[in-house]
Formats: sequence, structure tokens, C-alpha cells
Amino acid sequence: MNYQKQVIIIIALSVLIGAIFNTLRHDGIKWLAEPIKTVTDPEDALNILAEPSIREIDIETARSLHGAGVLFVDARAEEYLLEGFIPGSIADDDVEVLSEKINTLIGLDKGFVIYCSDDDCGSSEELAYELQDIGFNNILVFKGGWRSWTDAGLEIEYNE
Amino acid sequence: MNKINPYLILLIRCLLGLVFVYASYDKILDPGKFARDIANYHIVPFGLENSIAIILPWLELLIGAGIILGIFLDGSVVLSGSFLILFIVMIFQAMMRGFNIECGCGLKEGEMVGWSKILENIVFLGASYIVFYSRNRVLEIYPKTPLSE
Repeated sequence: MNYQKQVIIIIALSVLIGAIFNTLRHDGIKWLAEPIKTVTDPEDALNILAEPSIREIDIETARSLHGAGVLFVDARAEEYLLEGFIPGSIADDDVEVLSEKINTLIGLDKGFVIYCSDDDCGSSEELAYELQDIGFNNILVFKGGWRSWTDAGLEIEYNE
Repeated sequence: MNKINPYLILLIRCLLGLVFVYASYDKILDPGKFARDIANYHIVPFGLENSIAIILPWLELLIGAGIILGIFLDGSVVLSGSFLILFIVMIFQAMMRGFNIECGCGLKEGEMVGWSKILENIVFLGASYIVFYSRNRVLEIYPKTPLSE
């Protein structure tokens, strides 16, 4: 049997096993990903939700929520915090420690904001899903993150 | 390639196969996370990262098992080589676009894209090349390669 036929058989088997396994498992995912919903009204963003939710916010909403004293969580690795962070943000590379900090400060149901370096960093979204799995119900991912905050000339804080 | 000791080829196969099997493990356990890792590369359209996350880990597992056990060995190494070239291109474009993202390679938790990942994949690509062109093989369950080929 030539390698082309083998390749087709291996791919076909993988599709079949993947489809069956994804259908049978309790945490199977949809075949097409749905984009994260965006929320623009700061009041909507902070409503207590019936179901756990991860939503996106832009720079304007992030600024309003920051002004209203909402907790900000920095998802960047700790070495990046040397260049500064959004005032009042908390951070920890250890998700367990971070989740305990958030839980102590605001509990599981209140909304809070997670950000990372920019539009493309991905770590804020990743952290959001990890924290949702731990039990946090209203997580807002600040799209644009640190870069859009500094580009807008907003206040930043440094660790001493 | 036929001058290389067949047992050295077998050792290369075991190492290469184990890399693929090991890389598939976490991805099979958590396809949602793997889909998000793929999405972070900003290269896959229409939400297809989920479909890839459902299929690719099993493909890696079958490729790895095939390389170790010698089942569809030629097809498995052609696929491993093709995927390694694809991974190199994906990591390189992410680096060139300035993305500081997790590799999603499945070998080490939280590993970021970078030149070391590209180098690692080039080494595995070389291993795939050596195995594909070696005809003097031991432990080949199906199909068997005739030595005269």
C-alpha cells in the first residue's frame, strides 16, 4: 500500500474517532467556535448573572468600570508587570493563589475585568476560562488590554 | 539512509512517536483549551479552530502510535513531517506578527512561541525525513517494506 493511501486512512480514522469521542464526552465542544459576546453598557457588565459568563469589553467600558472601582486582574506574566500595570490591578502567575485573592476581595458572583498585553495576547481569555472553571460567574475580558490602555494615555501604576 | 543501523532508526522512531503521542494527551483531555490556543494564532477562519481541536489530537496520537509500532509507517512519517512544517510556519508567522502567545504544542505547560520551538520542530522534521527514507527497518507490523525497494 503506497503512503498516499495510508495518509488518507489515518486522516479518515482520526476524523471518525475525534467525532465519536467528542459526541460521547460530557465536555465535548461545538464543531465551530462562537465568538465571545461583547458588552458595552457598564451597568449590564456588572449585573449578577444567572449563568456563568465570559464577555468582552472595549477601552471605553474598561475605563468606566475602572472609574467605578471594579477589580482588574492582570493576566500577563509577572515579569511584564515591571513596565507598569493598570492602577489597583492584582496579578499572580499561580491561578490558585490568584483565585483565592479574587474570592477574598469580591467573591464569586461580582464582575471583574481581566486584561493582558494587547488584542492578540490570548492569556486574558485563557485565564478567564480557568477562573470560570474554578467558579467565578461574571468575567469581563478587556480586549486591547495594556496596549490600548497606555495608547489612550490613561494612568498607570508601578511596583516599587 | 539504508546504511544507518536499523535499531538506531527504531530508536529515532520511538522518540519521534513518543513526542507525538505525548503531545496529543493534554489536547485530547481539554479540546476547549487547545481550540483557544489555535485561535490565538489568528490564522484559522470561521471558528474552525474547534474542528481542528476535535480531530488533530487523535491524528497526532495515531501518527505517534503508527511510527512506534510500524503501522502505516510511511503514511505516518509523511503526516508527521507535513504537520511539523505547518507548525514551524504557524509559529514563525506568530513571531513575525509580534504575538506573545502560548505555543499550544502540548509538550510543556505554558510554553511560549519562539525560536527554540522552531528549532525543536526542525529536529523532529529531520527525524521524520530519516525514517521515511530508511528501507532497512525492524518492527514494522503493516505493511512490511521490501528490502529491495
